[in-house]
Amino acid sequence: MDKNAKLEFDVIVIGAGLSGSAAAAIAARGGLKVALIERGQAPGNKNYFGGALYTHSLLEIYPDLWDRKPPLERPVTETGFWFLSKDGLVKATVQGGKVNSQPIDAYVALRSKFDAWWAEQAQKEGAFIIPKTLVVDFIRENGKVVGVKTDRDQGDIYAPVVIITEGVNNLLTQKLGLAKHDIKGDSAALAVKQLISLPSATINARFGLTDNDHGVAMSVMGDVSMGLPGLGFMYTGVDCVSVGVGVTLEALREAGIKPYELLQRYMNHPMIAPLIAGGRLMEYGAHIIPEGGWKDMPQLYTDGALVAGDAASMVNALHWEGTNMAIVAGKSAAETAIEAHQKKDFSAQSLSSYRTRLDKRFIMTDLHQYRNLSHFLKTHPDFMAIYPTFLNDALGMFFTGFGKPKRQLYKDILKSLTSRRPLFKAVGDIVAFGRTIIGI
Amino acid sequence: MTETSVTKKNDLPEVYIDDILMSLKYFTDEHEAHLKIIDPQVCINCKEKPCIQFCPVGAYRTQDGGTVQIAFQSCVECGTCRVMCPPANISWKLPRGGFGVSYKFG
Repeated sequence: MDKNAKLEFDVIVIGAGLSGSAAAAIAARGGLKVALIERGQAPGNKNYFGGALYTHSLLEIYPDLWDRKPPLERPVTETGFWFLSKDGLVKATVQGGKVNSQPIDAYVALRSKFDAWWAEQAQKEGAFIIPKTLVVDFIRENGKVVGVKTDRDQGDIYAPVVIITEGVNNLLTQKLGLAKHDIKGDSAALAVKQLISLPSATINARFGLTDNDHGVAMSVMGDVSMGLPGLGFMYTGVDCVSVGVGVTLEALREAGIKPYELLQRYMNHPMIAPLIAGGRLMEYGAHIIPEGGWKDMPQLYTDGALVAGDAASMVNALHWEGTNMAIVAGKSAAETAIEAHQKKDFSAQSLSSYRTRLDKRFIMTDLHQYRNLSHFLKTHPDFMAIYPTFLNDALGMFFTGFGKPKRQLYKDILKSLTSRRPLFKAVGDIVAFGRTIIGI
Repeated sequence: MTETSVTKKNDLPEVYIDDILMSLKYFTDEHEAHLKIIDPQVCINCKEKPCIQFCPVGAYRTQDGGTVQIAFQSCVECGTCRVMCPPANISWKLPRGGFGVSYKFG
C-alpha cells in the first residue's frame, strides 16, 4: 500500500465490545466499509461483567443466532433477589413459568469468550477489525469529526462518521465535549468479581439445578455490601460460578474499605461459602458500572460522531440492563450512519435521528423512568442496611414462633423494624422507593 | 480460598491481593507507565490516601516519607483512582494498544 495513502473507511467504530461489534455488524451488512478498532490484544480481552446477556438483543442483531453457536454458558432458569443478613438469607426467586419459557430470556456468559465471538460475527458481515490499537484523539476539520488518531505509526484513520463505543471510561466522549464531566463517584459503582471453578455436577447439586441447561442469576442485597449502597451478584456458568459485589465509588472511599476484602467477606458469608467451597479462583477482575443512567448521559451525537453503550451511560441498575441497551444502541447508531451515507450528510442535524431511534425503544423511556435511582440510594444510605436484615428477622421470627402467643410475635416483628427505623420513616422509604421506580 | 482467616476489627477478612492477581494475565508495557503521580508532594500532604484502600488491585502503596507509588503493571484499567483521588493527582491514561490487562474469561 502507498505509504502516503489516506486510510479511509465509511465508518469507524471505537471499541469491539457488545455495542461496537453490533454497530460494526449492522453497518457492514448495510454496505458500509467499517473499521472496528480495539485496544486489547483481541476483542473481549478488556471486557468484564457479572453477568448475563439478554437473548432479545442478540437476536435483534442475528436472527439466526442459534445456528451461529454463540459461546454462552447456562441459560438463566432461576433468578431473583437474595437478601442477606449477617448470618441469614431470605430468597425471593422465580423459576419455571415465564422464566423457563422458550426462548430463555437471559444467558450467563463470560465476556472475553463471548465478545471475541461477537466481533468475529461482525467480521463475517464484512467489518475490518484493527486490534491492539488505541484511539487517542479525533481528527477534526472545521469542527467536524472526520476520523481518529491512533497510537500506531501513521495511525490516522478517516471516516465521515465515527461511532464511539469506548466503554465506561469515556475519555474520548469527554474530549469531544459530548460528556460535560468525568464519571461521578456517587453515580458509578465499582464492581469486583471472582470467577470460581467448580465441576458442573457440583454446581448442579449446590444450586438445585437439574442439569447444565439450568442456571441461576441472583441479585444479592444487604450484608453483602455491609449495608453500603450497592449490590452483590451470583451467576452460574457451566463449570464456574461468578460471585461479585459492587458499591458506589463514593461509598467505597468514605467507608475506607478494600473492594477485594468486601468481596472476600461476602464469599465467607455462612450462606454463601458452602456454594463455592473447594472452588479454585479462575480469574479476578474489576470494572466500573455507570449507574447514573439518564442524568449522566452525554450528548449522544455531534458533527461526525455518535456515542453508545457504557460510554453513553446506558445502564438501568435496578433491572441489570446495560448489555442489551449497548447492543440495541449500537445497532441504532449503525442505522443512523447508513442513513447519513445515503443522505451524504454527517452533520449533527442529520445524525440526530439516532436520538429519535433510541426514543422509540426501551432505552430512553426506561433510563428516564429510573433517572432518580442513584439519587434515591444517595439520600437513603441505610436502605440496603435496614431492610434486607429486617426481612431476615421478620420471616425468621414468623417461621420459628412456635408455642408463643402470636400477638406478641407480631409485636416483636414490628419492633425489629421500628428499632431500626421509625415506622413513619419506613413508610416514607417505601413510598420514595416506589416513586423512584415508577419515575414520578 | 485460603487467604481469609484473619478477621479485622472492622469485620473484613484480610486478603493477600498479590495471590489473587496471579489469576490475571497482563501484557506489560516496559517502556511506558500509563499511570503516574502528577506531584509527589501532593500525596505527602494527602492525609487520607484513600487510593491505598479503594484500588481493586492494590496498585497504590505508600513509601517512606509519605509518597505514593503505583504498581501500574497490576492495573486493570477500571478508572476508580482517576475519579476518586481527592486532589486529582493521578495522570490516568489507557495503556498503549495491546498492553495492559488481558482477561481470559471476563
